[in-house]
Amino acid sequence: MTLEASSIGDAAGAARALVQRVMTFGRLCKAAGLGATPARMMDVLRSLEGIDLRRRDDFRLALRTNLASSHEEEALFDRLFRTYWEGEATADYQPAEFELEPQEDDKNREIPDEPPDLLGNPEQWSADELAKARELVGRWTGESREVQRLVRELAERLATRPSRRVKPARRGPRVDMRRSLRRNLAHGEMLELSRTRRKIRKTRLVMLCDVSGSMDTYNPLLLQLMFGLQRALPNSRTVVFTTRSSEITRSLRRRSVPEALNEASRLARHWSGGTNIGAAIGEVNRRILREGSASSTVAIIVSDGYDQGDPALISREMRALRRRVRAVTWINPLAGSEGYTPTARGMQAALPYVDHFFGASNAKAIRALTKQLGAIR
Amino acid sequence: MQFDSVDAVREMFAKDGYIADRPLALTVYLANLLGKPILLEGEAGVGKTEVAKVLANTLDTPLIRLQCYEGLDANSTIYEWNHAKQILHIRIAEKQESVETLDRSIFGEEFLLQRPLLQAIRHPGPRPAVLLIDEVDRADEEFEAFLLEVLSDFQVSVPELGTFRAAHRPIVVLTSNRTRELNDALKRRCLYLWIDYPTPTKEREIVLSRVPGIDASLVEQVVGVMHTLREIDFFKRPGVAETLDWSRALLGLGARELSPELVDETAGCVLKYHDDVERLREIGADHVLAGESERSEAR
Repeated sequence: MTLEASSIGDAAGAARALVQRVMTFGRLCKAAGLGATPARMMDVLRSLEGIDLRRRDDFRLALRTNLASSHEEEALFDRLFRTYWEGEATADYQPAEFELEPQEDDKNREIPDEPPDLLGNPEQWSADELAKARELVGRWTGESREVQRLVRELAERLATRPSRRVKPARRGPRVDMRRSLRRNLAHGEMLELSRTRRKIRKTRLVMLCDVSGSMDTYNPLLLQLMFGLQRALPNSRTVVFTTRSSEITRSLRRRSVPEALNEASRLARHWSGGTNIGAAIGEVNRRILREGSASSTVAIIVSDGYDQGDPALISREMRALRRRVRAVTWINPLAGSEGYTPTARGMQAALPYVDHFFGASNAKAIRALTKQLGAIR
Repeated sequence: MQFDSVDAVREMFAKDGYIADRPLALTVYLANLLGKPILLEGEAGVGKTEVAKVLANTLDTPLIRLQCYEGLDANSTIYEWNHAKQILHIRIAEKQESVETLDRSIFGEEFLLQRPLLQAIRHPGPRPAVLLIDEVDRADEEFEAFLLEVLSDFQVSVPELGTFRAAHRPIVVLTSNRTRELNDALKRRCLYLWIDYPTPTKEREIVLSRVPGIDASLVEQVVGVMHTLREIDFFKRPGVAETLDWSRALLGLGARELSPELVDETAGCVLKYHDDVERLREIGADHVLAGESERSEAR
């Protein structure tokens, strides 16, 4: 691009214009949620000096490798790139026409949402789904102090286990040779031993929250408990699902709960139209629990078990899930209410693989639930 | 700078039997130009680790590998003192030396066990070493924070010996299987590239160059089946490593052509979980051979 430009006219001017355009594009990327920090923009400009600008694909890849940091961000970047650089590129593209400010068009152009976490789904949503989403947020009645306290206590207590990391300690099973040697140099003998003990490690929770229409009974206190736990235990992951699933870990991490709920409803653009529990568990099995720390993970599923999918799928995925985590906990908001028995087909299929089954029909049940959760080892 | 152009990277990689596509070659080239680490993500078995190995090979420089695991801490990645040797030395020296000289002597080079990060920083050159930080997602967040610090300054201090600063900044390649998201700050420090499964054409080339003596038509079939298999949501989708294993196994068995029976018998080369093998049996090897990733009559 610029090399051709320089042979045509004012080379320095074209280069300056290109830099301006790249910087404007950087701002667009930033607005769309990519980490286009000043340091990274400097690297982008340095990269441009090293590549052949006539190769448009090299230009795109050079910008992308600097500005995107995940597979989803790569896809988002490519969309932004097409919009900004190719939306107006024509055959007789004149570098002299580089604008210094974004065009009106650029400003009005819809900037894509933040990239979804792992399981997002880029689909348009209908008015119906919008209404559902609003409803969910509407059910949010603000943070109850009691739930806040429960979350805090639970997070502290929650199934701690010894880490492989060690820390210095007065008493402990292992001798810290490094520190012992230093301490005893003056004595010439090993008189005092420094010791270490294992650190305590928090459990990792993987929470699957059914947010389908059949969960209208969803208790705001329960929502707050789940999301509060996600925030208190940063290792944890939260997925909401109906017929599809969407991970909302990142939005919960960054925003307040009501904001995150809004965000969740934007990401999970498929509130209505039934539930597919088996498929959601399958996604989690394959995308989140793929490898690694089974021994520290506890899965928590919140659902009433009403399901339009295949019960055989639920059985299969529950069996796989059970093998990949330390314990499977199922919270059924209906259980515990009068006259309830777990007869939903989905519930029946899942029960053989559930280690702990809790109800959460009212505040009392939720209090009991946090006690029991805290006792999981 | 070690590479003159993107094409130079591709050529040098090709000489080493690695077929690098343009995005990878460009990322390697820019990493070299900017002196930034490369973060490679992708499914297991797409050749992420291989990139570092080939890079070290083409530059004729040592590959220093830091395999990450849960509980990995700073000590075991920078340096440790050889305590047994120190104690031995103390015993011998006790009678003659004062504390100060003893202190100086047992915290000297000969008692220092260098771990990968220190090795990479102290690499004498003339070309920079390649530092591979493999499966960084397996280490925990605390280690990431520490890594971030090392990657920004390329210096570490050993209190007893002083601070070491890299004379030749190593070329750093981080890989992640994405079992969890990495720290944003760490990601921003790196050039990023997602590595996908190779296209059938590319995978054919890879097999032919890595498994000498194999029949081209068999490779065609194997690669076709692999691509069908990757569309099935197995718990562990087979990577290029599995294609190579399977090809070698078939070559060893003297197979000329794939049959459903042969696929069933050798499924263990490709699928590493019992659930997945069962899943394949459900779908049926004959369907997979025909390029179908779902059992059609089950609908």
